[in-house]
Parts: sequence; C-alpha cells; structure tokens
Amino acid sequence: MVLGVTIITLSVLVNQITKNTFTKNNPGLDVVVGAKGSPLQLVLSSIHHIDIPTGNISYKNAKKIMKHPTIKFGVPISLGDNFQNYRIVGTDKKFLKLYDAELEIGSMWEKPMQSIIGSNVANFTQLKIDKFFVGSHGLIDTGDIHSEQPYKVVGILKKTGTILDNLIITSLDSVWNLHSNQNDILKNSDSLEVTALLLKYKNKTSVFSFPRLINKNTNMQAASPNLEISKLFKLTGEAHKIINYLSVIIVSLSFAGILFTLLNNINERKYDLAILRTLGFTRERIFSIILIEGMTISILGSFIGLILGGIVYKCIEFFSLLGRNIVTGQLDFIYEILTIWFVILIISFLTCLIPSIKVYKQNIRNTLLNS
Amino acid sequence: MLICENLSFSIDGHKLLSNIDFKIKKEKDLLITGPSGIGKTTLLSILCGLQIPTEGSIRYNDTSLYSLSENKIDEFRGKQLGIVFQSFNLINAFTIKQNLQIANTAEGSQDTDHIYDLLERVGLADKSHIKVSNLSIGEKQRVAVARAFIGQPKWIFCDEPTSSLDDKNTDIITNLIKEESLRHKASLILITHDKRVQSILNFNKILRLGEVL
Repeated sequence: MVLGVTIITLSVLVNQITKNTFTKNNPGLDVVVGAKGSPLQLVLSSIHHIDIPTGNISYKNAKKIMKHPTIKFGVPISLGDNFQNYRIVGTDKKFLKLYDAELEIGSMWEKPMQSIIGSNVANFTQLKIDKFFVGSHGLIDTGDIHSEQPYKVVGILKKTGTILDNLIITSLDSVWNLHSNQNDILKNSDSLEVTALLLKYKNKTSVFSFPRLINKNTNMQAASPNLEISKLFKLTGEAHKIINYLSVIIVSLSFAGILFTLLNNINERKYDLAILRTLGFTRERIFSIILIEGMTISILGSFIGLILGGIVYKCIEFFSLLGRNIVTGQLDFIYEILTIWFVILIISFLTCLIPSIKVYKQNIRNTLLNS
Repeated sequence: MLICENLSFSIDGHKLLSNIDFKIKKEKDLLITGPSGIGKTTLLSILCGLQIPTEGSIRYNDTSLYSLSENKIDEFRGKQLGIVFQSFNLINAFTIKQNLQIANTAEGSQDTDHIYDLLERVGLADKSHIKVSNLSIGEKQRVAVARAFIGQPKWIFCDEPTSSLDDKNTDIITNLIKEESLRHKASLILITHDKRVQSILNFNKILRLGEVL
C-alpha cells in the first residue's frame, strides 16, 4: 500500500508540477527563433532554461526579424555562462516586461557587467547588491571561470513564481564582452550573435506562415513553444501512463494483501471473536472492530505513501539541477492527490467489508465447539 | 425469575431436548445433571442466548430472551449473565487483567477498580500481568470464574467448572463460585456430575436431564 501510493503520489506530483511549470514559464510567447536543430531543444533552452541551446544566430538577422510586420514584440537572449548553475542571460530590458518583473531592491543595469538577479538566485547563492561574482563558462558549473571580468549585482527582482526567479539577467553587451574580443565588437558589429529570439505575433494568424517563412528562407528555425511542449507531454504522457498502471497494479496487490491478511487474521482469531460475542459484544461491534482494523491499515499505509511520495519528490527537486527550474508554491495537484486518496480509501472500505461480513455471519456456538 | 417453558431443541432431525420446563426464583440455584451427551451444554447455551431453541421460550423476569433481536440478546448476556465455560473460553494471547478488562468493556463499564478486587478474591492479583496461555488449569478456571462475575450479573451459568481439576482445585473453584454468587446475590445454574461439587453447593433445585422430574 505504502509503495503503491508513493509511486502514484510521485507520478501525480511530477506530472502536475511539470505541466504547471511549463505553462507558467511561458509568458505568452508565440514563437522562438534560433539556430537550426531540434525545435524542442530550442524551446527548452531559451524559455525554460533546461536544455542546451541549438547554437547562435546573427544579431543583425535577429534585429531584422524583430522589425518584421507580423511581430508585435521581440527580445533577444544570449546564453553561455552560469553562476553556481544559475544561468546568466544576456538580453535587453524588455525581457523583464515579459514576466511583469519588478525590482525588490537596487536598480536596473546601466553598464556592461552589471546584473540583476532573480529571487531564488539571491536566496541560494548569498549574492547581494554591490557584490561581485564571476561567471563560469557553459550552462553547468564546470569551474572554467571568467575571472578577469566579474559581474556586479545592481538589483534583485521580486519573486515571480517563474523561471525568472532562477536567472541572472544582464545586458547583451556583457555577454558579448566576455565571449568576444572588444576590438572585434567595435570593428564589426555584424559578427555579433545571440542565442535566440523570443517573439509575440501581432496577429495569431501568423502562427503558420511566420515559422514557414523562417524555416524555408533562412538558416534559422522558428519553433512554437506551445506546440513543442505539447509534443513533449504527449511523449512523457505515455511514460506517465505506464507508471500509473504500475502503481495501480501495486495498490491493487496491496488491497489483496490487506484482504488476505484480514481474512487470515479473523480465521486465526475466530475463536477469540466468538468469545467476545459470549461476553456481550454485538455482531455490529465485532463488525466495526474488524472494519476499523482494516481501515486503520489502509489509512495509515496510504497516508505514509502520500508523505513518502512528497518527500521523494522534494528530494528529486532538491538534488537535481532540473528541480531548480520548477515553479513551486502551486497547489493544483492537491485536488488530484486527494481524489486518488479518496478512491483508495473507498476501495479499502469495500475490501475490508468482506472479512467484516464474514465475522458478522459467524456462528458463535459452532466456532466455540469446533475450537 | 428465570422461566423455561416447553423448551425443545432438535439437531439434524434428532430431538436432543424435549419439553423442558422449570422456574428458578431470584437468588435460588439450579443443578443440571445427567449422563454425557444428553444435551446439558446445549441447554446451557440456549439459556444463555447462544443457541436458538427449536421450540419454547425463556424468560428472565419480564424479558423473553428469544423475542429480542440478536444484538439485544448479546447485550442482555453481557449485562445480566455470567458464564463459566467448561473449556474456559479465555483469550490466550491476553493477560489475566486484559481478559477481565475486555469483559468489563463488553459490559459497558468504565470502572476498573472492581477488576482488582475480583482478582484479589480469586487469588490472582499478583499474576494479573501473566498471559493466560502460561497459567495452570486451576488458575485458568479461576480467571474464568472472575470474568463471569465482572459485570455483577444476576444469573451465573457454569458448565462443568471442575471437570479437569484435582480435589484441591475443585474445592477452591466451587467455594469461589459459591462465595461470589452470594456476594453478587446471583442465581447459580450449574451443570456437573461431579459429586464433590454437589456436596459443597446446596442446590435449591435439581434438573436431571434424561429422567422424568
């Protein structure tokens, strides 16, 4: 029972919280443009900050796309570094508007190598206003640091409940400064690159034409975040189904276990139960005793399963880098978990009725004589 | 008063008990005797509400036992009757004290002081924590007697309470049953063909099964 409910709880938590996280992390973006490769990878890396980017695109082309008549809003991002596994995102100030982000303290960056940090970054890295830190090359902390050019924290954002809480935001110039020769930048601005463009359409009718335009006519790709994430869920949904079937089998086996344990118990104790009847215990009272005994096992087992499921989930979240990007604080899953728990308790009740009815029908005198 | 009228019991078409009639007044005792297999234990089970008779009625004062629902019979038995079974019928996994406590619970009492008084009187106060399975036959029978009196019943039924006891324990158990019956002002209905018991207890009435009264 404990194992089955633990797996069900874990499955529901992972499924629901992941869905919530993916939904909340996308601030209404219609399309992402980036280097050719896997569209899902592009979406995951540029919106959800999970995967590695597909590559870079020319900033010059990016600017052209942002001016395209179908585009209402566009913001470039440039990835490449992290600090203690928190991604450093080079972008412009419009990026913060996407998430309706506000500063908790400090101010926006005004110069290269100034940064503002998300609330989780502030909480877990001890970074504060006016503190300096050095970025590490890559998107996972490898120890390969840019020690010659530290960032300065100039602002800390209020909690948004989105991926923004886990990001370090700086200007595009800062990222370019770190990864290119300063003179090259001044000499040839055409060589500047960004990782992706986050775009919103003026009109939703562009949803088919615009990606086709990019995918056919450029060396870039356009990916729809909603489409890619729903494809992902379709894939993972099958895995969830298998896990759910498995947990249903385990829980069913635990019901059978409870049933046989109770039947075995009452068989061993039928003499004692008959004695209780001779002492004045009514059929209903004995029936209740057996029912309460079975339900106590079920309630305790399923409750421990729920708690264990929650603990295992929290451990996974805490110990995995992916867990950092999960949006916590949502309680949508509680309804589903409570529904499952309620169904389990109803089935437990029906299971426990079988031995209880057997005891209810027991003939005291025959039992005592046979014993 | 206990009134047994025209009581008959058949099993598999064989009439085991036929037209039993007797009355016992309050605080009076009845000895039920007769040869083995004549139906003494069955009669006791019927009197205690554990076995429905084929015919006839049993009345305890104004209460017609088998007019009650099965639950009410169980409750009546718990509150008004005390039974000492031939095979003790104790819960072996429980201690002496727990066996008495469960009987006390069945009777609906919260008061546990009288448990210790009873254990003191049957000489088992210092062994109350011992599991019944570890007791001697004589001690088990004393626990069974103590349990029968736990709810301060008005009717005590004993089925061969000394059949497996030696002379010394027979004296102890018989005197214990007599003393406790007097203390609780209970009527005693006892099955035995043990002459030792019959010599200690002075019965007001004797019912000889298999003989015409």
